[in-house]
Amino acid sequence: MPTRGYRALVTASSPPPAANPPVRRRRRPGPTGGVGFVVDSVLMAWRWLRRMRTALYMLAALGFLTLVATFVPQEPNVSSTVAEWRSGEAGPGVPVARVLDAVGAFDVYGSGLFVALLLLMYLSLTACLIPRIRAWFRLVRLSRPPVIRRPSEANLTATFATAASPEVVHATADDVLTRRRWRRRRHTGDGRTPAQLAAEKGLVSREGGSLLFHVSFYVLLAAIIVGQLTTFEGQRGVVEGEPGFSDSAVSYWLYQPGRWFDESDHDRWQFELDEFHVDWVRDPLAPGAGQPTEFRSEVTITPPDGEPYAAEIDSNAPLRIGGKRITQLDWGYAPRVVVEVDGEVVHDGFIQPTVTDGGFFRGAVKAPAADPDVGLEVFFYPYAPYDESGRPVPTGAPWDEAPMLLFRQHRGDLQLGATQQTVNELDTTELESEGGAYLRPGQSVTVGDVEVSFPELRRWVGYQVSSRPAIPALLAGAGLLVGGLIPALYASRRRLWVLTERDEGLGSTLVTVTGRAFQRPEAFAEEHAAVTAELADAVEATATDPPPDRPGDHSGAHHRAGDREVLRP
Amino acid sequence: MTQDQLAELSRFLYSPTTLLLYLTAAFVYLYALTTTVGRQEERERGRRARRIGGVLAVLGVTAHVAHELARGFAQDRLPLGNMFEVTSLMALVGVVSGLYVLQFVRRRPELNGFVLLGGSLVLGMAMLMYAEPGPLMPILDTWWRPFHVSLLVAAMGIFAAAFVFNGLYLLRDTAERAVAASHEGRSRGSTVGAAHLGDLERTGPSTDGDDDEVERAHAAAYREALRAGIPRVKLAVGVFLGTSLVSWVWLVTDDTVAGGVGRFLAVNLTMVAAALLAAWFTPFLPSTATLDGLAHRTITFAFVLWTVGVIAGAMWAEVSWGRFWGWDPKETGSFLTWVAYAGYLHARATHGVRGRNAAWIGIGAFIVLMGTYLIANYVVVGLHSYAEL
Ligand code: HEM
Repeated sequence: MPTRGYRALVTASSPPPAANPPVRRRRRPGPTGGVGFVVDSVLMAWRWLRRMRTALYMLAALGFLTLVATFVPQEPNVSSTVAEWRSGEAGPGVPVARVLDAVGAFDVYGSGLFVALLLLMYLSLTACLIPRIRAWFRLVRLSRPPVIRRPSEANLTATFATAASPEVVHATADDVLTRRRWRRRRHTGDGRTPAQLAAEKGLVSREGGSLLFHVSFYVLLAAIIVGQLTTFEGQRGVVEGEPGFSDSAVSYWLYQPGRWFDESDHDRWQFELDEFHVDWVRDPLAPGAGQPTEFRSEVTITPPDGEPYAAEIDSNAPLRIGGKRITQLDWGYAPRVVVEVDGEVVHDGFIQPTVTDGGFFRGAVKAPAADPDVGLEVFFYPYAPYDESGRPVPTGAPWDEAPMLLFRQHRGDLQLGATQQTVNELDTTELESEGGAYLRPGQSVTVGDVEVSFPELRRWVGYQVSSRPAIPALLAGAGLLVGGLIPALYASRRRLWVLTERDEGLGSTLVTVTGRAFQRPEAFAEEHAAVTAELADAVEATATDPPPDRPGDHSGAHHRAGDREVLRP
Repeated sequence: MTQDQLAELSRFLYSPTTLLLYLTAAFVYLYALTTTVGRQEERERGRRARRIGGVLAVLGVTAHVAHELARGFAQDRLPLGNMFEVTSLMALVGVVSGLYVLQFVRRRPELNGFVLLGGSLVLGMAMLMYAEPGPLMPILDTWWRPFHVSLLVAAMGIFAAAFVFNGLYLLRDTAERAVAASHEGRSRGSTVGAAHLGDLERTGPSTDGDDDEVERAHAAAYREALRAGIPRVKLAVGVFLGTSLVSWVWLVTDDTVAGGVGRFLAVNLTMVAAALLAAWFTPFLPSTATLDGLAHRTITFAFVLWTVGVIAGAMWAEVSWGRFWGWDPKETGSFLTWVAYAGYLHARATHGVRGRNAAWIGIGAFIVLMGTYLIANYVVVGLHSYAEL
């Protein structure tokens, strides 16, 4: 409904505002026949797209899709849950999951339906905005406040009498309204319309704000698309004190460059983790017992052609190097496990067990260098103090005050490459258990002919390195959005007329200040009263109606509308 | 005072102190509302009741603020870190801004009771998610967080007030329509009664004597007609079902079946009781235009806050997690709420949709707000799962 506002403008006051140019040009008759049918259909679709109701339906559809995304787990977010839904371990069951899969409900925002809706919304937005923007520019350039024949019922009206001449009154009113930044138009009066100063305000900012708000969607969309193309994200885990990684394509474990991201965009600095600080509320009786209170990495960065320097990464303070940002993603304990068979070292390295619900960590050691292979199932407990009888008691506490490494040793074929297994999983189908033991840091133990030792405990941290050059554009889009929204919702379009009627016999001028607001009438009532009072003061009014001694009452009930009795001096 | 004592104090200030003060103040105000159409001496009593209600409300707000402060000191951080704290602050913002607007901007202090009733409801709901004071996870410890969270909390509180206005609008509108329809049936199109009594709350007893008696009898009959115009059973069932759209979350997430059913019923029946009470008060409500305007303006304001709050959240996510938006359940929920209220604003700007339809969209948007808030916190858990239930 791009022209609704304009039409309202035409019908709002009694005389047609001849001063305003027609906003829409007349359509020429189009072609007929088959071409005409196509043209008509396109025009009809375009007009449908332009309707406010259409936008409403689309918002509803967008809301529905989002609702689906709220209830159904989304693959990009929680792929494991989606996998459980698919296999029937969780969720409403396999058949339902199949249907959900078929309609793309597991990845709503990547589905064709969503893209189609987005496209349609942007089309509708465009269809809506083109005429609105054209009309707006015409309004800004050409519009003049319309004149009025007599105050109408719908108007807020106040009158007063003054000895000043109409010219002086109009000039003063012009000053007052200029100071208040109204758009003005003087009319000297003719047989049909009285002499008056017509003024208007707010028509540019309200509609302009709304346009800016809607236009910001294009900026946001463009920024997001460009962002997708130019972004880069890489992930990598690092153990304290161990060699880190360098910023290059090959050193990331998970590497997701956008299409326009080039390998030469890497900065090739070297990254090392010196120490990772993590702490909790350890007192079980303190408020929030067990909650973490700190995650902080002390790191060393070596630029490709410079001196190494120390830096810090905190939960909410990522490290910025050039255009890239390093954030902490996750962390865990990294026990160093050495495995020797017949005095020969077959494994020596830090393992990175994953945390479990039970508060302990699970991992595996795989040593295919031995013959037959050695595999250790590892359970790591950060806090397993001894009880009175000297036995370790595993607890769920995450702090490493009494670390214990529990393992079960296996020999046989590890099936590496034959079956799917992650680094922390051990496929025991072809293995034989030879018993297990527990170790404290610095200890070693021999099980069968295998000696396992746990010389030290460190920590590992998973980092994400990202580069998002489109963020400033996105911020600009957000700024436009808010900057447009506020005037779109709060600016109010209003008109005011200062009419004069000279009574030469009495030597006085009757001044009528009348006006109306299209939005926010209460605020306008105050403004109207203020303008009237200012003008009455400036021209030394002799009597006013309503009397100006009712400050604070803005109900408008005391402003008489339409034909009224007038106090004469 | 030790932190434990502070925690104890904050708990006591919250419940029963604040809760009871709000509730009593609400009922005193609602009583005062029933006197506005009565005799001179009744109106005098109403004025006195309103004064008492005002004192109780101020005491309630003071206790509420004191609770927030005590809780803040007990845990050495802003009390905005979990659902209980957020909801409690949402109630505080809603009550204070609602009372302020009605008292000083709108100058309709007789409506304060509804705001206080709404505040009590939200406070009661927060009790269902009570959590002991404690420190914050480090990821939440940044100035982005209070900025983002407090904007959204303020918006939620204001949306809640708008929900009440929309509900009251629908009640009043339904009642007026019913009365107009029955008039039409009886006197063939004469709506004189409805027109003249539409402004009931302004009708004061101007003279003593028979005219006054007649007028009052007439007004009482009109009040009865308005009340009769609201189908009670339909209202109760509708509110029960409508609330269930949100409160099912407790059914499926509570540890015990009995606990879940208990919470579910507590919420639903409270809402039904509130609706029936509001229905009884329908004749004393301001005009539909006033209620509609209040709803629109509150939603407009909250929409701006919500927009800025969501943007701030995206900025925080960019800083904390290295991505500004990931369709995490909470992000999805806040987006959905935003779209729903944008739908309301569009509906208001569309000819032929405004009025009752827009009010229904507003109600639906609030259901979306509460629903996504609870779902994202209880049912599906994503990165934002710091809620500490
Ligand atoms: C589908 C594409 C859209 C179209 C065609 C559209 C169209 C319009 C139009 C014509 C108006 C002016 C209403 C008037 O004052 O007469 C408007 C206002 C508005 N639109 Fe949209 N819009 C679209 C999408 C959106 C979206 C996605 C949002 C945000 C969630 C949004 C939020 C608003 C707001 C807040 C207003 C101001 C309402 C008011 O003036 O009271 N719009 N829109």
